[in-house]
Amino acid sequence: MIAIPTLILIFSGAATGLIGAMLGIGGGVFLVPLLTLVLGVPIRTAIAASLISVIATASASSTINLERGLVNMRLGMTLEVATTLGGLAGGLLAAALSQRQLFLAFGATLALMGVVMALRSGRRNVIAHDAGVEPGRLGGRLREGDQAYVYRVKRLPLAMTASLTAGAISGLLGIGGGVIKVPVLNAFCGIPIRVAAATSAFMIGVTGAASAFLYFGRGDIALHLTSAVAVGALPGSLLGARLSQRVEARSLKILMAVVLLVVGLRMALQAL
Amino acid sequence: MERAVEAALTAGVAVSGLLLVAGLLLGSTAPLWWGVLLLIVTPVVRVLVVTAGLILEHDWLFAGVSLFVLGVLLSSVYVSGRL
Repeated sequence: MIAIPTLILIFSGAATGLIGAMLGIGGGVFLVPLLTLVLGVPIRTAIAASLISVIATASASSTINLERGLVNMRLGMTLEVATTLGGLAGGLLAAALSQRQLFLAFGATLALMGVVMALRSGRRNVIAHDAGVEPGRLGGRLREGDQAYVYRVKRLPLAMTASLTAGAISGLLGIGGGVIKVPVLNAFCGIPIRVAAATSAFMIGVTGAASAFLYFGRGDIALHLTSAVAVGALPGSLLGARLSQRVEARSLKILMAVVLLVVGLRMALQAL
Repeated sequence: MERAVEAALTAGVAVSGLLLVAGLLLGSTAPLWWGVLLLIVTPVVRVLVVTAGLILEHDWLFAGVSLFVLGVLLSSVYVSGRL
């Protein structure tokens, strides 16, 4: 592998951390393609670096999301049961797959989620404007400007299944899994996009940690490359979490759908 | 509880960030190693804080859920030690 200048790695981490924190998806979906397709890093090394960077992004952006009251902590902890189990399984499975299989799995996952996100971008999930409506044990309240909204969690088994899959993909592909959880939580489970993104980011750190220990134990982490990317991801994600409040929810969904489709197809083509 | 979780995450991110920057500037491996390890451990500490918070709130159902998550994380640490 050619030595890549530290500043380029820091910039890559910052850029993907910024976009990742804006969308609540950690940023691995952008970082892995950037490291492999543009900078020529082997996919296994890129996945390990991305996993650490995703944890950094999740932890840093969660400090801001918690301050804003966007994180639904009880829902997050419940879904983490599934994401951590998936993360552990994915982390173990990663060692058994070839480089080509990893590229194909990555590309297909992203393109599929892009299609789902694009098809459901027009829906709103807020159930009532009246803050007196009961949100249930896992639901919550959200304040946007002067308006208070209430949402209830629908189809919890689906949310758990999506979280298990997200965890497994996180451990396998180093991408955090927000790319699966945010669209499913938003499109099918009644969670407003900002809460889905913030709660997903909150969970991603824990999901990532479940498999990161395995990568660490196997010695798969390229220390200099990973550290440089993580150093960039920290300020990038703090800025991204601050900017996310200023972007309209529908624009967030469409931006995410387009990026997923393009990056997904590019990754799948790489494997063919 | 939100405040305590926020403080734990902020501390973990700040210290690991400093270690990583120091390691990169000095060209030294030890701070990088500790910085990466601390980044991975920070979410585990976050789960510990949430568990403690839920126990203090007598929310036994979600404290149980939180303890389960902690168990999965610890089993991952155990498995990684045997790879």
